[in-house]
Amino acid sequence: MEFWNQLIEPFQYDFMRKAMLVGAAVGLVCAVLSCFLTLKGWALLGDALSHAIVPGVVLASIFQGSFVMGAFVAGLLSTLGIGWVKSCSRLREDAVIGIVFTAFFALGLVLRSLFPSTVDLKNIMLGNLLGISDGDAVQCLVIGAVTLGIILIKWRDLRLFCFDPKHARSMGIHTTWLYWMFLALLSLATVAALQAVGACLVVAMLITPGATAYLLTDRFDRMMVLAGIQGALTCAVGAYISWFAQASAGGIIVVLQTAIFLLAMLFAPKHGILARRRMVENSLLHHA
Amino acid sequence: MGFWPGDEWSKIRFFIMLDAVIQFFSMPLEYAFIQRALVTGVLVGTVCAVLSCFLILKGWSLLGDAISHGVLPGVALAYLFGLPILFGAFVSGLLCVLGIGWVKQQTRVKEDTVIGILFTGFFAVGLILVSKIESDIHLMHILFGSLLGISAADMGQLLMIAGGILIVVLVKQRDLQLFCFDADYARSIGLSVRGLHLLFLCLLSLCIVASMKTVGIILVIAMLISPGATAYLLTDRFDRMLWLATGTAVVSTVAGVYTSFYLDASTSGLIVLFQAGFFLATLLFSPKHGWITGKFQRMNPA
Repeated sequence: MEFWNQLIEPFQYDFMRKAMLVGAAVGLVCAVLSCFLTLKGWALLGDALSHAIVPGVVLASIFQGSFVMGAFVAGLLSTLGIGWVKSCSRLREDAVIGIVFTAFFALGLVLRSLFPSTVDLKNIMLGNLLGISDGDAVQCLVIGAVTLGIILIKWRDLRLFCFDPKHARSMGIHTTWLYWMFLALLSLATVAALQAVGACLVVAMLITPGATAYLLTDRFDRMMVLAGIQGALTCAVGAYISWFAQASAGGIIVVLQTAIFLLAMLFAPKHGILARRRMVENSLLHHA
Repeated sequence: MGFWPGDEWSKIRFFIMLDAVIQFFSMPLEYAFIQRALVTGVLVGTVCAVLSCFLILKGWSLLGDAISHGVLPGVALAYLFGLPILFGAFVSGLLCVLGIGWVKQQTRVKEDTVIGILFTGFFAVGLILVSKIESDIHLMHILFGSLLGISAADMGQLLMIAGGILIVVLVKQRDLQLFCFDADYARSIGLSVRGLHLLFLCLLSLCIVASMKTVGIILVIAMLISPGATAYLLTDRFDRMLWLATGTAVVSTVAGVYTSFYLDASTSGLIVLFQAGFFLATLLFSPKHGWITGKFQRMNPA
Protein backbone atom coordinates (compact mmCIF):
# COMPACT_ATOMS: atom_id res chain seq x y z
CA MET A 1 0.00 0.00 0.00
CA GLU A 2 2.81 2.32 0.95
CA PHE A 3 4.59 1.43 -2.26
CA TRP A 4 1.44 1.98 -4.30
CA ASN A 5 0.97 5.39 -2.75
CA GLN A 6 4.48 6.31 -3.72
CA LEU A 7 3.91 5.17 -7.28
CA ILE A 8 0.83 7.32 -7.78
CA GLU A 9 2.25 10.27 -5.90
CA PRO A 10 3.39 12.16 -9.04
CA PHE A 11 -0.17 12.06 -10.37
CA GLN A 12 -1.38 14.11 -7.43
CA TYR A 13 0.53 17.15 -8.53
CA ASP A 14 -0.82 19.47 -11.13
CA PHE A 15 2.56 20.22 -12.72
CA MET A 16 3.39 16.51 -13.06
CA ARG A 17 0.08 15.72 -14.78
CA LYS A 18 0.66 18.69 -17.06
CA ALA A 19 4.25 17.63 -17.83
CA MET A 20 3.21 14.08 -18.70
CA LEU A 21 0.32 15.22 -20.88
CA VAL A 22 2.34 17.84 -22.77
CA GLY A 23 5.27 15.45 -23.05
CA ALA A 24 3.10 12.73 -24.53
CA ALA A 25 1.54 15.13 -27.06
CA VAL A 26 4.87 16.57 -28.17
CA GLY A 27 6.47 13.13 -28.26
CA LEU A 28 3.64 11.78 -30.41
CA VAL A 29 3.84 14.58 -32.97
CA CYS A 30 7.63 14.50 -33.22
CA ALA A 31 7.60 10.72 -33.56
CA VAL A 32 5.10 10.78 -36.43
CA LEU A 33 7.19 13.44 -38.20
CA SER A 34 10.34 11.40 -37.58
CA CYS A 35 8.94 8.62 -39.79
CA PHE A 36 8.84 10.99 -42.76
CA LEU A 37 12.29 12.33 -41.93
CA THR A 38 13.76 8.83 -41.74
CA LEU A 39 12.15 7.94 -45.02
CA LYS A 40 13.33 11.06 -46.78
CA GLY A 41 16.86 10.86 -45.34
CA TRP A 42 16.51 14.28 -43.76
CA ALA A 43 17.47 13.23 -40.27
CA LEU A 44 19.75 16.18 -39.74
CA LEU A 45 17.22 18.79 -40.71
CA GLY A 46 15.78 18.43 -37.21
CA ASP A 47 19.24 19.06 -35.77
CA ALA A 48 19.55 22.18 -37.91
CA LEU A 49 16.09 23.53 -37.12
CA SER A 50 16.34 23.02 -33.38
CA HIS A 51 19.46 25.18 -33.21
CA ALA A 52 18.44 27.66 -35.88
CA ILE A 53 15.28 28.79 -34.10
CA VAL A 54 17.23 30.17 -31.12
CA PRO A 55 17.78 33.68 -32.59
CA GLY A 56 14.06 33.83 -33.37
CA VAL A 57 13.20 33.10 -29.76
CA VAL A 58 15.67 35.70 -28.47
CA LEU A 59 14.46 38.37 -30.91
CA ALA A 60 10.85 37.60 -30.05
CA SER A 61 11.58 38.12 -26.39
CA ILE A 62 13.50 41.36 -27.05
CA PHE A 63 10.55 42.78 -29.00
CA GLN A 64 8.03 41.04 -26.74
CA GLY A 65 6.52 39.15 -29.63
CA SER A 66 5.29 35.58 -29.75
CA PHE A 67 8.05 33.01 -29.17
CA VAL A 68 6.39 30.53 -31.46
CA MET A 69 6.18 33.06 -34.28
CA GLY A 70 9.83 34.11 -33.85
CA ALA A 71 11.05 30.54 -33.74
CA PHE A 72 8.93 29.60 -36.72
CA VAL A 73 10.24 32.45 -38.88
CA ALA A 74 13.87 31.77 -37.89
CA GLY A 75 13.39 28.08 -38.67
CA LEU A 76 11.97 28.79 -42.10
CA LEU A 77 14.69 31.37 -42.85
CA SER A 78 17.38 28.84 -41.98
CA THR A 79 15.91 26.21 -44.30
CA LEU A 80 15.65 28.82 -47.06
CA GLY A 81 19.29 29.70 -46.36
CA ILE A 82 20.35 26.05 -46.53
CA GLY A 83 18.53 25.64 -49.84
CA TRP A 84 20.07 28.77 -51.32
CA VAL A 85 23.64 28.01 -50.23
CA LYS A 86 23.32 24.47 -51.53
CA SER A 87 22.06 25.64 -54.90
CA CYS A 88 24.94 28.04 -55.46
CA SER A 89 27.94 26.19 -54.06
CA ARG A 90 29.64 22.90 -54.71
CA LEU A 91 29.55 21.85 -51.06
CA ARG A 92 27.87 18.72 -49.82
CA GLU A 93 24.50 19.18 -48.15
CA ASP A 94 25.64 18.18 -44.67
CA ALA A 95 28.42 20.77 -44.70
CA VAL A 96 25.93 23.46 -45.78
CA ILE A 97 23.50 22.45 -43.03
CA GLY A 98 26.31 22.59 -40.49
CA ILE A 99 27.44 26.07 -41.53
CA VAL A 100 23.98 27.62 -41.69
CA PHE A 101 22.59 26.27 -38.43
CA THR A 102 25.69 27.09 -36.42
CA ALA A 103 25.67 30.63 -37.84
CA PHE A 104 22.03 31.08 -36.80
CA PHE A 105 22.78 29.63 -33.40
CA ALA A 106 25.80 31.90 -32.95
CA LEU A 107 23.64 34.89 -33.85
CA GLY A 108 21.16 33.85 -31.17
CA LEU A 109 23.95 33.51 -28.63
CA VAL A 110 25.37 36.95 -29.44
CA LEU A 111 21.93 38.58 -29.29
CA ARG A 112 21.27 36.89 -25.97
CA SER A 113 24.56 38.17 -24.56
CA LEU A 114 23.78 41.72 -25.74
CA PHE A 115 20.34 41.63 -24.07
CA PRO A 116 21.07 39.49 -21.02
CA SER A 117 17.73 39.66 -19.28
CA THR A 118 15.60 38.30 -22.11
CA VAL A 119 15.34 34.52 -22.04
CA ASP A 120 16.87 31.83 -19.91
CA LEU A 121 19.37 30.16 -22.23
CA LYS A 122 19.45 27.07 -20.05
CA ASN A 123 15.73 26.49 -20.60
CA ILE A 124 16.15 26.81 -24.36
CA MET A 125 19.08 24.41 -24.44
CA LEU A 126 17.85 21.81 -21.98
CA GLY A 127 14.09 22.33 -21.82
CA ASN A 128 11.96 22.65 -18.74
CA LEU A 129 9.11 20.16 -19.04
CA LEU A 130 8.34 19.99 -15.33
CA GLY A 131 8.21 23.76 -15.00
CA ILE A 132 6.14 24.49 -18.09
CA SER A 133 3.67 27.33 -17.65
CA ASP A 134 -0.07 26.96 -18.34
CA GLY A 135 0.12 29.22 -21.38
CA ASP A 136 3.04 27.31 -22.87
CA ALA A 137 1.34 24.00 -22.17
CA VAL A 138 -1.80 25.07 -24.01
CA GLN A 139 0.35 26.37 -26.86
CA CYS A 140 2.19 23.04 -27.12
CA LEU A 141 -1.07 21.10 -27.13
CA VAL A 142 -2.61 23.32 -29.81
CA ILE A 143 0.50 23.13 -31.99
CA GLY A 144 0.59 19.39 -31.49
CA ALA A 145 -3.06 18.93 -32.40
CA VAL A 146 -2.84 21.13 -35.51
CA THR A 147 0.35 19.45 -36.75
CA LEU A 148 -1.01 15.98 -36.14
CA GLY A 149 -4.31 16.85 -37.81
CA ILE A 150 -2.61 18.13 -40.97
CA ILE A 151 -0.35 15.08 -41.11
CA LEU A 152 -3.26 12.68 -40.72
CA ILE A 153 -5.18 14.40 -43.51
CA LYS A 154 -2.20 14.61 -45.84
CA TRP A 155 -0.19 11.53 -44.91
CA ARG A 156 -0.67 9.66 -48.17
CA ASP A 157 0.55 12.62 -50.22
CA LEU A 158 3.42 13.20 -47.83
CA ARG A 159 4.42 9.55 -47.95
CA LEU A 160 4.47 9.55 -51.71
CA PHE A 161 6.43 12.81 -51.67
CA CYS A 162 9.03 11.27 -49.37
CA PHE A 163 9.31 7.96 -51.20
CA ASP A 164 9.24 9.19 -54.75
CA PRO A 165 8.81 12.92 -55.46
CA LYS A 166 8.84 12.40 -59.24
CA HIS A 167 5.97 9.95 -59.09
CA ALA A 168 4.10 12.29 -56.75
CA ARG A 169 4.50 15.12 -59.25
CA SER A 170 3.33 12.97 -62.12
CA MET A 171 0.19 12.13 -60.13
CA GLY A 172 -0.60 15.85 -60.00
CA ILE A 173 0.43 16.44 -56.39
CA HIS A 174 1.88 19.88 -55.81
CA THR A 175 5.28 18.85 -54.39
CA THR A 176 6.72 22.33 -53.82
CA TRP A 177 3.70 23.20 -51.76
CA LEU A 178 3.99 19.91 -49.84
CA TYR A 179 7.68 20.58 -49.24
CA TRP A 180 7.00 23.93 -47.63
CA MET A 181 4.08 22.58 -45.68
CA PHE A 182 6.29 19.83 -44.33
CA LEU A 183 9.02 22.28 -43.33
CA ALA A 184 6.43 24.47 -41.61
CA LEU A 185 5.06 21.49 -39.66
CA LEU A 186 8.59 20.49 -38.72
CA SER A 187 9.39 23.99 -37.46
CA LEU A 188 6.19 24.05 -35.42
CA ALA A 189 6.90 20.65 -33.86
CA THR A 190 10.46 21.71 -33.09
CA VAL A 191 9.22 24.81 -31.29
CA ALA A 192 6.86 22.73 -29.19
CA ALA A 193 9.50 20.11 -28.43
CA LEU A 194 12.03 22.79 -27.51
CA GLN A 195 10.03 23.57 -24.39
CA ALA A 196 9.88 19.93 -23.43
CA VAL A 197 13.42 18.64 -23.95
CA GLY A 198 15.48 21.62 -25.17
CA ALA A 199 17.42 22.39 -28.33
CA CYS A 200 20.12 19.76 -27.81
CA LEU A 201 17.74 16.84 -27.54
CA VAL A 202 14.92 17.74 -29.95
CA VAL A 203 17.02 16.00 -32.59
CA ALA A 204 16.51 12.71 -30.80
CA MET A 205 12.72 13.12 -30.67
CA LEU A 206 12.76 13.78 -34.43
CA ILE A 207 14.96 10.82 -35.36
CA THR A 208 14.99 7.98 -32.87
CA PRO A 209 11.30 6.85 -32.80
CA GLY A 210 11.12 6.77 -36.61
CA ALA A 211 14.38 4.86 -36.89
CA THR A 212 13.24 2.35 -34.25
CA ALA A 213 9.96 1.76 -36.03
CA TYR A 214 11.81 1.42 -39.32
CA LEU A 215 13.66 -1.56 -37.86
CA LEU A 216 10.44 -3.17 -36.69
CA THR A 217 8.24 -3.03 -39.77
CA ASP A 218 8.24 -2.57 -43.54
CA ARG A 219 4.83 -0.93 -43.76
CA PHE A 220 4.60 2.81 -43.45
CA ASP A 221 1.26 3.03 -41.65
CA ARG A 222 2.46 0.57 -39.00
CA MET A 223 5.71 2.51 -38.75
CA MET A 224 3.79 5.70 -37.91
CA VAL A 225 1.72 3.94 -35.27
CA LEU A 226 4.73 2.24 -33.66
CA ALA A 227 6.79 5.43 -33.66
CA GLY A 228 3.87 7.44 -32.28
CA ILE A 229 3.31 5.02 -29.41
CA GLN A 230 7.00 4.98 -28.62
CA GLY A 231 7.29 8.77 -28.71
CA ALA A 232 4.25 9.40 -26.54
CA LEU A 233 5.09 6.69 -24.00
CA THR A 234 8.76 7.56 -23.60
CA CYS A 235 7.93 11.24 -23.02
CA ALA A 236 5.21 10.56 -20.45
CA VAL A 237 7.22 7.84 -18.68
CA GLY A 238 10.35 10.00 -18.83
CA ALA A 239 8.57 12.85 -17.07
CA TYR A 240 7.21 10.35 -14.52
CA ILE A 241 10.64 8.85 -13.81
CA SER A 242 12.25 12.26 -13.51
CA TRP A 243 10.02 12.85 -10.47
CA PHE A 244 11.71 9.95 -8.66
CA ALA A 245 15.17 10.34 -10.12
CA GLN A 246 15.29 14.10 -9.57
CA ALA A 247 17.19 14.37 -12.84
CA SER A 248 16.75 16.18 -16.16
CA ALA A 249 13.44 15.08 -17.73
CA GLY A 250 14.72 15.71 -21.26
CA GLY A 251 17.75 13.55 -20.60
CA ILE A 252 15.66 10.65 -19.26
CA ILE A 253 13.24 10.81 -22.21
CA VAL A 254 16.04 10.61 -24.75
CA VAL A 255 17.88 7.86 -22.88
CA LEU A 256 14.65 5.82 -22.90
CA GLN A 257 14.25 6.38 -26.65
CA THR A 258 17.85 5.43 -27.36
CA ALA A 259 17.53 2.31 -25.19
CA ILE A 260 14.44 1.20 -27.13
CA PHE A 261 16.30 1.76 -30.39
CA LEU A 262 19.19 -0.40 -29.19
CA LEU A 263 16.77 -3.14 -28.09
CA ALA A 264 15.06 -3.02 -31.49
CA MET A 265 18.45 -3.18 -33.17
CA LEU A 266 19.24 -6.40 -31.32
CA PHE A 267 15.87 -8.14 -31.21
CA ALA A 268 13.77 -6.83 -34.13
CA PRO A 269 11.97 -9.79 -35.74
CA LYS A 270 13.32 -9.29 -39.25
CA HIS A 271 15.96 -6.58 -39.31
CA GLY A 272 17.50 -7.18 -35.86
CA ILE A 273 21.07 -8.36 -35.44
CA LEU A 274 20.02 -11.66 -33.83
CA ALA A 275 17.35 -12.36 -36.44
CA ARG A 276 19.77 -11.80 -39.28
CA ARG A 277 22.40 -13.95 -37.63
CA ARG A 278 19.83 -16.74 -37.29
CA MET A 279 18.88 -16.29 -40.94
CA VAL A 280 22.50 -16.60 -42.08
CA GLU A 281 22.97 -19.74 -39.96
CA ASN A 282 19.79 -21.28 -41.36
CA SER A 283 20.80 -20.65 -44.92
CA LEU A 284 24.24 -22.13 -44.22
CA LEU A 285 22.61 -25.26 -42.75
CA HIS A 286 20.37 -25.43 -45.75
CA HIS A 287 23.28 -25.39 -48.14
CA ALA A 288 25.28 -27.92 -46.14
CA MET B 1 46.47 75.74 -50.41
CA GLY B 2 45.70 72.01 -50.92
CA PHE B 3 44.19 69.95 -48.17
CA TRP B 4 46.71 67.15 -48.53
CA PRO B 5 49.63 66.74 -48.26
CA GLY B 6 50.41 70.37 -47.47
CA ASP B 7 47.74 71.02 -44.86
CA GLU B 8 49.16 70.76 -41.35
CA TRP B 9 45.74 70.22 -39.76
CA SER B 10 44.87 67.20 -41.83
CA LYS B 11 48.24 65.69 -40.93
CA ILE B 12 47.49 66.20 -37.26
CA ARG B 13 44.03 64.77 -37.71
CA PHE B 14 45.56 61.74 -39.44
CA PHE B 15 47.93 61.07 -36.54
CA ILE B 16 45.18 61.48 -33.98
CA MET B 17 43.16 58.89 -35.85
CA LEU B 18 46.14 56.57 -36.19
CA ASP B 19 46.71 56.89 -32.47
CA ALA B 20 43.08 56.03 -31.79
CA VAL B 21 43.34 52.96 -33.99
CA ILE B 22 46.52 51.80 -32.25
CA GLN B 23 44.87 52.48 -28.91
CA PHE B 24 41.84 50.44 -30.02
CA PHE B 25 43.98 47.41 -30.74
CA SER B 26 46.52 47.69 -27.94
CA MET B 27 44.26 48.53 -25.02
CA PRO B 28 42.68 45.06 -24.65
CA LEU B 29 46.16 43.51 -24.84
CA GLU B 30 47.00 45.06 -21.48
CA TYR B 31 44.73 42.50 -19.85
CA ALA B 32 46.27 39.10 -19.21
CA PHE B 33 42.98 37.29 -19.82
CA ILE B 34 42.71 38.82 -23.30
CA GLN B 35 46.27 37.76 -24.09
CA ARG B 36 45.49 34.21 -22.97
CA ALA B 37 42.23 34.19 -24.93
CA LEU B 38 43.96 35.36 -28.11
CA VAL B 39 46.85 32.88 -27.93
CA THR B 40 44.66 29.89 -27.03
CA GLY B 41 41.83 30.84 -29.38
CA VAL B 42 44.14 31.31 -32.34
CA LEU B 43 45.97 28.03 -31.82
CA VAL B 44 42.83 25.94 -31.20
CA GLY B 45 41.12 27.71 -34.12
CA THR B 46 44.07 26.83 -36.35
CA VAL B 47 43.87 23.16 -35.42
CA CYS B 48 40.10 23.11 -36.08
CA ALA B 49 40.62 24.84 -39.44
CA VAL B 50 43.27 22.34 -40.55
CA LEU B 51 41.09 19.38 -39.57
CA SER B 52 38.05 20.98 -41.23
CA CYS B 53 39.84 20.79 -44.61
CA PHE B 54 40.25 17.04 -44.23
CA LEU B 55 36.62 16.69 -43.07
CA ILE B 56 35.31 18.60 -46.10
CA LEU B 57 37.37 16.43 -48.42
CA LYS B 58 36.16 13.24 -46.80
CA GLY B 59 32.54 14.45 -46.64
CA TRP B 60 32.39 13.88 -42.91
CA SER B 61 31.20 17.32 -41.87
CA LEU B 62 28.78 16.08 -39.26
CA LEU B 63 31.25 13.88 -37.45
CA GLY B 64 32.26 16.93 -35.42
CA ASP B 65 28.62 17.28 -34.37
CA ALA B 66 28.60 13.65 -33.20
CA ILE B 67 31.85 13.69 -31.23
CA SER B 68 31.23 17.07 -29.63
CA HIS B 69 27.92 16.03 -28.08
CA GLY B 70 29.37 12.64 -27.21
CA VAL B 71 31.95 14.05 -24.80
CA LEU B 72 29.44 15.05 -22.12
CA PRO B 73 29.09 11.74 -20.20
CA GLY B 74 32.87 11.44 -20.11
CA VAL B 75 33.18 14.86 -18.51
CA ALA B 76 30.72 13.93 -15.76
CA LEU B 77 32.20 10.47 -15.13
CA ALA B 78 35.76 11.80 -15.05
CA TYR B 79 34.65 14.30 -12.46
CA LEU B 80 32.97 11.55 -10.43
CA PHE B 81 36.07 9.33 -10.39
CA GLY B 82 38.56 12.15 -10.00
CA LEU B 83 40.17 11.60 -13.41
CA PRO B 84 41.31 14.43 -15.69
CA ILE B 85 38.23 15.97 -17.34
CA LEU B 86 39.93 16.19 -20.73
CA PHE B 87 40.78 12.49 -20.64
CA GLY B 88 37.20 11.50 -19.86
CA ALA B 89 35.87 13.73 -22.60
CA PHE B 90 38.32 12.28 -25.12
CA VAL B 91 37.44 8.65 -24.36
CA SER B 92 33.72 9.34 -24.38
CA GLY B 93 33.82 11.24 -27.69
CA LEU B 94 35.83 8.47 -29.29
CA LEU B 95 33.44 5.80 -27.97
CA CYS B 96 30.51 7.73 -29.44
CA VAL B 97 32.00 7.86 -32.91
CA LEU B 98 33.12 4.21 -32.81
CA GLY B 99 29.60 3.28 -31.67
CA ILE B 100 28.17 5.12 -34.67
CA GLY B 101 30.42 3.11 -36.97
CA TRP B 102 29.33 -0.15 -35.36
CA VAL B 103 25.58 0.56 -35.38
CA LYS B 104 25.81 1.66 -39.01
CA GLN B 105 27.35 -1.66 -39.95
CA GLN B 106 24.71 -3.64 -38.10
CA THR B 107 21.47 -2.02 -39.28
CA ARG B 108 19.73 -0.77 -42.38
CA VAL B 109 19.35 2.71 -40.90
CA LYS B 110 21.09 5.52 -42.81
CA GLU B 111 24.33 6.98 -41.52
CA ASP B 112 23.06 10.46 -40.63
CA THR B 113 20.15 8.92 -38.72
CA VAL B 114 22.55 6.72 -36.76
CA ILE B 115 24.71 9.75 -35.97
CA GLY B 116 21.64 11.59 -34.69
CA ILE B 117 20.47 8.69 -32.53
CA LEU B 118 23.79 7.95 -30.87
CA PHE B 119 25.04 11.46 -30.18
CA THR B 120 21.75 12.47 -28.60
CA GLY B 121 21.82 9.27 -26.54
CA PHE B 122 25.30 10.08 -25.27
CA PHE B 123 24.36 13.69 -24.63
CA ALA B 124 21.24 12.66 -22.71
CA VAL B 125 23.24 10.27 -20.49
CA GLY B 126 25.70 13.08 -19.85
CA LEU B 127 22.88 15.46 -18.98
CA ILE B 128 21.43 13.04 -16.43
CA LEU B 129 24.85 12.44 -14.89
CA VAL B 130 25.58 16.15 -14.64
CA SER B 131 22.21 16.78 -13.03
CA LYS B 132 22.77 13.95 -10.52
CA ILE B 133 26.41 14.50 -9.57
CA GLU B 134 27.07 17.31 -7.16
CA SER B 135 29.86 19.03 -9.00
CA ASP B 136 31.25 22.34 -10.01
CA ILE B 137 30.88 21.45 -13.70
CA HIS B 138 29.26 24.44 -15.37
CA LEU B 139 27.12 22.94 -18.11
CA MET B 140 26.77 26.31 -19.81
CA HIS B 141 30.57 26.67 -19.95
CA ILE B 142 30.85 23.28 -21.61
CA LEU B 143 28.10 24.14 -24.09
CA PHE B 144 29.29 27.64 -24.96
CA GLY B 145 32.93 27.73 -23.83
CA SER B 146 34.56 30.47 -21.82
CA LEU B 147 37.48 31.71 -23.87
CA LEU B 148 37.86 34.89 -21.83
CA GLY B 149 37.93 32.90 -18.60
CA ILE B 150 40.76 30.50 -19.44
CA SER B 151 43.30 30.05 -16.66
CA ALA B 152 47.04 29.92 -17.23
CA ALA B 153 47.08 26.20 -16.37
CA ASP B 154 44.28 25.47 -18.87
CA MET B 155 46.14 27.46 -21.47
CA GLY B 156 49.27 25.36 -21.06
CA GLN B 157 47.26 22.17 -21.41
CA LEU B 158 45.36 23.37 -24.47
CA LEU B 159 48.50 24.63 -26.18
CA MET B 160 50.15 21.24 -25.68
CA ILE B 161 47.15 19.38 -27.11
CA ALA B 162 46.80 21.74 -30.06
CA GLY B 163 50.53 21.69 -30.76
CA GLY B 164 50.55 17.90 -30.58
CA ILE B 165 47.69 17.59 -33.07
CA LEU B 166 49.35 20.04 -35.48
CA ILE B 167 52.66 18.15 -35.37
CA VAL B 168 50.98 14.79 -36.03
CA VAL B 169 48.96 16.26 -38.91
CA LEU B 170 52.09 17.83 -40.43
CA VAL B 171 54.07 14.59 -40.16
CA LYS B 172 51.24 12.47 -41.54
CA GLN B 173 49.81 15.04 -43.97
CA ARG B 174 50.44 13.03 -47.16
CA ASP B 175 48.94 9.85 -45.79
CA LEU B 176 45.89 11.59 -44.30
CA GLN B 177 45.32 13.50 -47.55
CA LEU B 178 45.42 10.29 -49.56
CA PHE B 179 43.13 8.59 -47.06
CA CYS B 180 40.58 11.40 -47.45
CA PHE B 181 40.83 11.72 -51.23
CA ASP B 182 40.88 8.08 -52.19
CA ALA B 183 40.91 5.43 -49.49
CA ASP B 184 41.03 2.58 -52.03
CA TYR B 185 44.18 3.93 -53.62
CA ALA B 186 45.71 4.48 -50.19
CA ARG B 187 45.04 0.83 -49.39
CA SER B 188 46.47 -0.34 -52.67
CA ILE B 189 49.82 1.36 -52.04
CA GLY B 190 50.09 -0.35 -48.67
CA LEU B 191 48.85 2.29 -46.24
CA SER B 192 46.90 1.04 -43.26
CA VAL B 193 43.54 2.69 -43.93
CA ARG B 194 42.10 1.38 -40.69
CA GLY B 195 45.02 2.81 -38.72
CA LEU B 196 44.70 6.18 -40.47
CA HIS B 197 40.95 6.20 -39.82
CA LEU B 198 41.51 5.62 -36.11
CA LEU B 199 44.31 8.19 -36.00
CA PHE B 200 42.07 10.75 -37.65
CA LEU B 201 39.21 10.09 -35.22
CA CYS B 202 41.63 10.44 -32.30
CA LEU B 203 42.94 13.76 -33.62
CA LEU B 204 39.39 15.00 -34.13
CA SER B 205 38.31 13.98 -30.63
CA LEU B 206 41.37 15.65 -29.10
CA CYS B 207 40.66 18.81 -31.06
CA ILE B 208 37.05 18.89 -29.87
CA VAL B 209 38.11 18.28 -26.29
CA ALA B 210 40.48 21.24 -26.53
CA SER B 211 37.75 23.39 -28.09
CA MET B 212 35.36 22.50 -25.27
CA LYS B 213 37.15 25.08 -23.12
CA THR B 214 37.35 27.75 -25.80
CA VAL B 215 34.18 27.90 -27.91
CA GLY B 216 32.16 25.10 -26.31
CA ILE B 217 30.83 21.88 -27.79
CA ILE B 218 28.05 23.38 -29.88
CA LEU B 219 29.95 26.01 -31.79
CA VAL B 220 32.99 23.81 -32.35
CA ILE B 221 30.81 22.21 -35.03
CA ALA B 222 31.08 25.47 -36.97
CA MET B 223 34.83 25.72 -36.36
CA LEU B 224 35.18 22.23 -37.87
CA ILE B 225 33.18 23.03 -41.03
CA SER B 226 33.21 26.71 -41.98
CA PRO B 227 36.94 27.41 -42.52
CA GLY B 228 37.39 24.33 -44.69
CA ALA B 229 34.20 25.05 -46.63
CA THR B 230 35.24 28.67 -47.24
CA ALA B 231 38.66 27.59 -48.47
CA TYR B 232 37.13 24.87 -50.64
CA LEU B 233 35.15 27.50 -52.53
CA LEU B 234 38.31 29.52 -53.16
CA THR B 235 40.82 27.01 -54.41
CA ASP B 236 41.21 23.57 -55.93
CA ARG B 237 44.60 22.84 -54.38
CA PHE B 238 44.76 21.19 -51.00
CA ASP B 239 47.85 22.97 -49.65
CA ARG B 240 46.34 26.37 -50.48
CA MET B 241 43.08 25.23 -48.91
CA LEU B 242 44.91 24.52 -45.64
CA TRP B 243 46.47 28.01 -45.60
CA LEU B 244 43.24 29.79 -46.51
CA ALA B 245 41.23 27.91 -43.89
CA THR B 246 43.81 28.68 -41.23
CA GLY B 247 43.86 32.34 -42.27
CA THR B 248 40.09 32.78 -41.99
CA ALA B 249 40.03 30.96 -38.66
CA VAL B 250 42.80 33.10 -37.17
CA VAL B 251 41.31 36.38 -38.38
CA SER B 252 37.85 35.34 -37.14
CA THR B 253 39.20 34.41 -33.73
CA VAL B 254 41.09 37.69 -33.27
CA ALA B 255 38.14 39.73 -34.55
CA GLY B 256 35.77 37.77 -32.32
CA VAL B 257 37.85 38.30 -29.17
CA TYR B 258 38.22 42.05 -29.83
CA THR B 259 34.56 42.55 -30.67
CA SER B 260 33.42 40.62 -27.62
CA PHE B 261 35.75 42.74 -25.47
CA TYR B 262 34.24 46.00 -26.74
CA LEU B 263 30.61 44.90 -27.02
CA ASP B 264 30.63 42.66 -23.95
CA ALA B 265 28.98 39.92 -26.01
CA SER B 266 29.40 36.16 -26.36
CA THR B 267 32.96 35.42 -27.58
CA SER B 268 32.29 32.05 -29.15
CA GLY B 269 29.14 33.36 -30.85
CA LEU B 270 31.08 36.25 -32.40
CA ILE B 271 33.95 34.05 -33.59
CA VAL B 272 31.49 31.77 -35.37
CA LEU B 273 29.60 34.74 -36.81
CA PHE B 274 32.86 36.11 -38.28
CA GLN B 275 33.57 32.71 -39.80
CA ALA B 276 30.07 32.61 -41.25
CA GLY B 277 30.66 36.12 -42.61
CA PHE B 278 33.82 34.94 -44.37
CA PHE B 279 31.88 32.03 -45.81
CA LEU B 280 29.06 34.25 -47.03
CA ALA B 281 31.47 36.73 -48.62
CA THR B 282 33.24 33.87 -50.38
CA LEU B 283 29.97 32.41 -51.52
CA LEU B 284 29.04 35.73 -53.13
CA PHE B 285 32.39 36.95 -54.45
CA SER B 286 34.67 33.93 -54.92
CA PRO B 287 36.47 34.45 -58.26
CA LYS B 288 35.68 31.01 -59.66
CA HIS B 289 32.56 29.77 -57.93
CA GLY B 290 31.00 32.98 -56.59
CA TRP B 291 27.29 33.72 -56.89
CA ILE B 292 27.60 37.39 -57.86
CA THR B 293 30.83 36.96 -59.82
CA GLY B 294 29.15 34.08 -61.64
CA LYS B 295 26.18 36.25 -62.60
CA PHE B 296 28.54 39.00 -63.71
CA GLN B 297 30.50 36.59 -65.88
CA ARG B 298 27.34 35.25 -67.46
CA MET B 299 26.30 38.80 -68.30
CA ASN B 300 29.68 39.64 -69.88
CA PRO B 301 31.05 36.45 -71.39
CA ALA B 302 34.68 37.30 -72.12
